[in-house]
Amino acid sequence: MTNAVTPLLAHVGHFTQVTTSPMGDAAPVWALLLAPLAGSLLIALGHRRLPERAAGWIGTAAIFVAFGAAVACFFELQGMDAESRHILSGYAYAQSLGVDFRFDLYADPLSVFMALVVSGVSALIHLYSVAYMRSDQGYGRFFAYLNFFVFSMLLLVLAGNLALLVIGWAFVGAASYLLISFWYRRATATAAGIKAFVINVIGDVGIVVAAFLLWRELNTLSIPQLLAAASDPFSVTPSATFTAAALLLLVGAFAKSAQVPLHTWLPDAMEGPTPVSALIHAATMVTAGVYLIARFFPFFELSKTAALTAAILGTATLLIAATTALVQTDLKRIIAYSTMSQIGYMIVGVSAAAYGAGMFHLMTHAFFKALLFMAAGSVIGAMGGVQDVRRMGGLRKAMPFTYVTFLIGALTLAGLPLLSGFFSKDEIISYTFNRGGAYAPIAIALYLGAILTAFYSMRAVFLVFHGEPCEEARELETGHLHHGEHANPATGEAEDTDVGFPGADHHIAEREPEMKVAMGVLALLSVVAGVIQVPGVTHAVDAFLEPTFASSRYLDTAPGTGAEQLGLAIGGVIALVGIALAVFAYFKRRGITETLARRMPRAHATLSNAWYFDAIYDVLIVRYVRALQSLSTRVLERFVVNGIVDGTTGLVRLVGGRIRALQAGLARVYAASIVLGVAAMVFYFYLAAR
Amino acid sequence: MSLTLLIFLPLAGAIFAICFPRKQVGTIAAFATLLQVGFIIPVLLNFETSVSLQQAVDNWWIRELGISYSLGLDGLNVFMVALTVFAWVIATIAASRRKVDNPRTYFALLALAETGTLGAFLAQDLILFILFFDLLLIPFYFLIGIWGQRRPRAATAKFMIYTLAGSLLMFASAIAMAHISAVQHDIGQVSFAFEDLVQNPVSGGAQNWIFLGFAVALLIKMPLPPFHGWMPDTYRAAPLPVLIPLSAVVAKLGAYGLLRVVLPTLPLAAQHFQDLMLVLAVIGIVYGSVMAFSQDDARLVVGYSSIAQIGFVALGIFAFDDKGVQGAMLQMLNHGIVVVGLFLVIGFLAERAGSDSLSRMGGLAKSAPLLAALFLVISLATLAMPGSANFVGELYILFGAFDGAFAYGAVATAGVVLAAVYMIRFYQRTMHGRGPGEGRSREIESDELGLLAPAVLVVLALAVYPQFVVKRIAPAADSALTAIQLPGASGVSKQSVDGDAGEPAARKNDSGAPAAKRPSTKGERTR
Repeated sequence: MTNAVTPLLAHVGHFTQVTTSPMGDAAPVWALLLAPLAGSLLIALGHRRLPERAAGWIGTAAIFVAFGAAVACFFELQGMDAESRHILSGYAYAQSLGVDFRFDLYADPLSVFMALVVSGVSALIHLYSVAYMRSDQGYGRFFAYLNFFVFSMLLLVLAGNLALLVIGWAFVGAASYLLISFWYRRATATAAGIKAFVINVIGDVGIVVAAFLLWRELNTLSIPQLLAAASDPFSVTPSATFTAAALLLLVGAFAKSAQVPLHTWLPDAMEGPTPVSALIHAATMVTAGVYLIARFFPFFELSKTAALTAAILGTATLLIAATTALVQTDLKRIIAYSTMSQIGYMIVGVSAAAYGAGMFHLMTHAFFKALLFMAAGSVIGAMGGVQDVRRMGGLRKAMPFTYVTFLIGALTLAGLPLLSGFFSKDEIISYTFNRGGAYAPIAIALYLGAILTAFYSMRAVFLVFHGEPCEEARELETGHLHHGEHANPATGEAEDTDVGFPGADHHIAEREPEMKVAMGVLALLSVVAGVIQVPGVTHAVDAFLEPTFASSRYLDTAPGTGAEQLGLAIGGVIALVGIALAVFAYFKRRGITETLARRMPRAHATLSNAWYFDAIYDVLIVRYVRALQSLSTRVLERFVVNGIVDGTTGLVRLVGGRIRALQAGLARVYAASIVLGVAAMVFYFYLAAR
Repeated sequence: MSLTLLIFLPLAGAIFAICFPRKQVGTIAAFATLLQVGFIIPVLLNFETSVSLQQAVDNWWIRELGISYSLGLDGLNVFMVALTVFAWVIATIAASRRKVDNPRTYFALLALAETGTLGAFLAQDLILFILFFDLLLIPFYFLIGIWGQRRPRAATAKFMIYTLAGSLLMFASAIAMAHISAVQHDIGQVSFAFEDLVQNPVSGGAQNWIFLGFAVALLIKMPLPPFHGWMPDTYRAAPLPVLIPLSAVVAKLGAYGLLRVVLPTLPLAAQHFQDLMLVLAVIGIVYGSVMAFSQDDARLVVGYSSIAQIGFVALGIFAFDDKGVQGAMLQMLNHGIVVVGLFLVIGFLAERAGSDSLSRMGGLAKSAPLLAALFLVISLATLAMPGSANFVGELYILFGAFDGAFAYGAVATAGVVLAAVYMIRFYQRTMHGRGPGEGRSREIESDELGLLAPAVLVVLALAVYPQFVVKRIAPAADSALTAIQLPGASGVSKQSVDGDAGEPAARKNDSGAPAAKRPSTKGERTR
């Protein structure tokens, strides 16, 4: 099917296949992009005629095809010369007047790396969803949206034109909106959806303005050409314009990646079904900001200001999010704050020119965070929809598989030595230390964040799985899966189950082979994925990405093997300290956390309210917009605009009233007055012209 | 000759239709409009990008008054003509679904309005343009006044006063322009042909006054604040099949007039008032957006959002940058198409909820998932979601504005975000949540689908391949600004505005007169 696409597009016109390598064949790239779109359309148009639960398998198959195509792209790239290791193919989309807005796909090591992570993790989450969403009334709609999301995400990473990247960027935002509001009869879900959408549009606008600045400076929107121009120190010198462009790109990156100050939508986005949280709001879409910085790395190297801004805000985010995660009571929100925090690490990494490390952490994070959400979904299933960790406890015996996978995810997140998160996170910290200067205090903050991370991840494990078994846990031990009250976990509002809310029945990993397979694979990857990049032993990620970042000006700031191994040792100790603290607080000295919260109510409230960002925005922005709105409606519209005309209308009505006896009398008067008035004016000017 | 046929085809179809029994008038009229589709498609496909004015018709009409019957097709109007046909086909079919009183008059007036609109888009003579422009309004007065709802008379009166005031000002300005041009250039024969007015422009001081006359008339039509007072009442009162072409097409005539008449013939005044117009454009964007998300009436959400969108169009035009003009032209087309879809959807929703009020809707998606999906596509296109052709238009407008008038472009970006707010709010308030609408909701029916699907398909087709439009209109975007002289790359020198513009050689022969087809202007012919 996908091979037929190329001639079809060629027929449409302006299709040019630009491949710089003789071996370059764009077919796998197009297959990679279009397989999820085909799946989405097939499900959307056909799910009423297809067998009832076919949508899930069609959707899953489409993503596995995409993953296969991504692997094919990988091998194709590996077979090319390192200097020209990319594929470029597309058509003129809206190209005129010097604006080269083209639909170009660009597959280079960085984009193929992202495509592999995205399609691979997506495939597993689709598989998980086949079982998890089985009882949901919106089953077909869910997979149509989910496939559309993967298409959008692949469009984003494969875009070879900055304007096309904006399209992918906005599409993932729209897919995210649709899936956050998936259970659209919940008021909390639709409110969360609109918040996410609007903040994402702010990000889109940032990138559009950045695109303009880059286009004006370098006369192109083509990403390879922009990168080539920016990497050439003879053609481009640092300037305020490039700094502005890089900062505007950051607006987009931060909105998408939920970094301070554009982060408030992500915790609310947990209103979506849990597989959505796993896929979009943990593993893939929210890491797009990291990809954006890595993609446009020459511009962040040109502008030290922009790079440092990104690093500082990333650090702020990781500390704010990690501290907030310490006190949250909603299981999914705890993981959401941890996602924000981990993305902060990646942002710091790519801003400090640790591109390989940043992308490596992006990959391992995708594995263990998707795993954590999947396990959380299983827990929420067992709890009958309850997400409050204070209601949970002692689920360890009732759900051993979920317990083990959640524990693996949490330990990887905590950075336990030898698990994958340990290698990837500490590589970022070593690079940051090695940059020195302003980056040294940042690196210390990263270690601080690591202790917090270890603590809150173990806190979640202990609260959910250890301690006294809750009612649902005891029921499950006797073999009965609890059916909860159908109530909105956020508000307690009663649910109607016919459009969603994980359906009448809940599904847990212990009883669903599809969920088990998906979680098992991710648990395995979380444990072993670190081996591909062990300091002094392997460097697969760096080696694969090398052609993309060959022109980096900071190649020599990579730390030596010894420094990296020292960093690993420190990081390992810090993770263990954090874990030990959690064990101390939740086993040895039970109740110490409550005491602390009582002693410092103000600090506790600040963290519970996520540092009051929502309240501040309400005061700063929302209220002003409301005031403007009421000014427009009550004053301008009523008096200024209508006042002028209402006076005139009143006059006419007075005249019109006299002749109201005639049907449509008014209109006749008007028609007559037009004709007369026009005639009079023609006559006057005609005479005057003589 | 074929353009004349195109203009009067709707009227002929309506005359044919009213010969049939009352019950069949609507159906016959709807079929008659479909004929125009067969007419317009070859026009689009055979459109020559390289030739500026095509299928030109040029005859004296009232020679003594300098009025000619000249028509022509170029990049500026080709898609406006197509949009006109599209909107009227959908509107006429939509109208034929319902039983109306006096169907013969109703469909005849609807067709007359289309003839007027097509004529206004195709006219190459100023008086002819104004004549068609006013001709099309008369049927709208009656259509709204007689078949309208909720105090239609009052709405008509307001609409009337606004448009009449505008039309008279424009008419006076037009006559003044031709007259002064003839006097200042010492030409014996007055001519209203665009071509002649471009070649023999009036002096700077006179331009300013004439510009104001045109600007008020065209801004009322668009409408831009503070000239939009007629819009809320008219939108509430008009029957939907009438509102569809009024909002989708007729409102675009205002912007079209700026591009066709004002920029080429009054370049000095356009530059003189550039900042004023940009301020009005930006006010329109922000004001329209803010109002759009405080409305409860679905029609007014679209009405105010149209003000914001037309603000973008005005921004693109008055940034005096070819990219901005290109974007404005694209957006006129794109917005016209989505408005057709939006009003269709509003009609369907109102039928289900029993009211246009958003508070009576809500939860409609539950039993109408397909309708919800189609509405979502239209909504996303309306908010210029990247990936829609509307985004391409907006991107060009913003690029043009950034290049030509950066500060205004920067303010306008707020409009991009606000558009997301009001459209998503609109979609959610009608479709999502649990509202009073859910019980009465039902899935879209096949005849409704037949109306809405073409609009959605056009939106999708343009989203996949906007180049089809982009490459056809780019030369016109380039030449629309030929008369505007920009010192340097951007910015406008105010000094040249007050100078005497008696020397036409300073300006290029512009605006769509290929030498091969019209070898001499009429002014020269008479001499």
